[in-house]
Amino acid sequence: MARKKKYAMFIDTLKCVGCSACVYACKSENQVPEGFCRDWVVQKTEGTFPHLSQLIRSERCQHCENAPCVTNCPTGASYYPGDGTVQVDRNLCTGCKACIAACPYDARYIHPVGFADKCTFCQHRLKEGLQPACVTACPTETLKLVDLMENSSTIEDLVNGRQIVKDKVHAGTKPKLFWLV
Amino acid sequence: MTEIISNKLNPYVYPNLDIWHYEIPLYLFLGGLAGGLLILSSGMILFKKESIENKAVRWATLLSPVILSIGMLFLLLDLEFKIHFWRFYTAFIFTSPMSWGAWMLLIFYPFSVMQALIVFKDYINFYPFILKTIKITEPHLQKIAVVNVHIGTGIGVYTGVLLSTFYARPLWNSSVLGFLFLLSGISTAAAVMLIICNSGDKRTFLKVDMYLISLEGFAATLFIIGGVTSAGAFHDAMVYLISGTYAAWFWVLFILCGLIIPLLLETLEVLNKVRYSPLVPLLVIIGSLSLRFIIVNAGQSFSTFY
Repeated sequence: MARKKKYAMFIDTLKCVGCSACVYACKSENQVPEGFCRDWVVQKTEGTFPHLSQLIRSERCQHCENAPCVTNCPTGASYYPGDGTVQVDRNLCTGCKACIAACPYDARYIHPVGFADKCTFCQHRLKEGLQPACVTACPTETLKLVDLMENSSTIEDLVNGRQIVKDKVHAGTKPKLFWLV
Repeated sequence: MTEIISNKLNPYVYPNLDIWHYEIPLYLFLGGLAGGLLILSSGMILFKKESIENKAVRWATLLSPVILSIGMLFLLLDLEFKIHFWRFYTAFIFTSPMSWGAWMLLIFYPFSVMQALIVFKDYINFYPFILKTIKITEPHLQKIAVVNVHIGTGIGVYTGVLLSTFYARPLWNSSVLGFLFLLSGISTAAAVMLIICNSGDKRTFLKVDMYLISLEGFAATLFIIGGVTSAGAFHDAMVYLISGTYAAWFWVLFILCGLIIPLLLETLEVLNKVRYSPLVPLLVIIGSLSLRFIIVNAGQSFSTFY
């Protein structure tokens, strides 16, 4: 049996310039239909001029360890394949939208064909030993897909004492997008 | 000052959730009504076996599976991948209320239809197999009624639990919602039976409906108190319901027209101060229908859990 994996994504907000290359790379790699997106960029500006601070975050499905979409899916279409990600089996999906209502991150949408869709961490690429399309396309190397079960030195190098921010931790979903601020 | 710019596009998710339109509130209403009709008719059969001769009880046993089937049609209309509807029956997901609901239907139909067949046995003389089944099951009508009371309750509660497990939508995340929808469903069923029943039974059904409306009022109060005394998003969501965009609908259509006015008029009718008017049960039905629309829409349009 292959070694157990637990994928997570580290996003360096100081490197991100908000170019949206990750969004376009994802759209083209995963043939995301027009008007929809699996990942997106949020630009948050706070303060009063001239004392302003800006945070740019690339966002997508959090691949939660305790995912409410999986809990609420009535057919088992949303599932944990065992590599730390959350995936949707299109053949099982009825398009009931329970997962969309359940997601506290609003990471999902209904594909025009009828099934629920979202970021897969480019599972098809990972299987071939490649990195997700967004990670590959990022010109500033902001995005890093990490296997948390791997040697922790990579993660230590990545974090380098910086603060990690997770979104809506109090939702209890154990999200796996880590923003370095 | 905080300014947020996002290039997230997804329709029906942004700027606020808009995934469920008229189909789901209608289904929740019809499901609650079907559950209520089953509870009341089976309950009355249990209480007095001769009730199967009562016009309202007879109609209720028949209407329950018919109305639920219409509700199911709306549920099917809501599915985005309709040809996959049978996938509900290739898995049982313990944590998903929708899965429970789908499987519950498999118990609902045989028992509710059997009860209706027994009640209408005099009209079914064209198919020997059904007649034979009725003959076998008829002595067990009371037992079937016991099961039906529970299935009816299950369906009624389910219509609320379906929404209340989504904590990502703070307004819905109240366990009182299951009981509120159940009581609203039974009271709607009583209103429907009040319209159908013979004039001699009006008083009985008026009293039943009065009692149920009053209980529903308590459940609605608990729902509001629970939300208002909650914290963060859950508090804000309830404040949004009772004082935001949907406030006028909630107070006027549901609380005033659906609860207070019918309760008042029914009390006066029972006291023989005013004559019975079918407008009263109609108000109950409108109130119950609007409750589902208001809760579903307000829950979606309020922000996601924060």
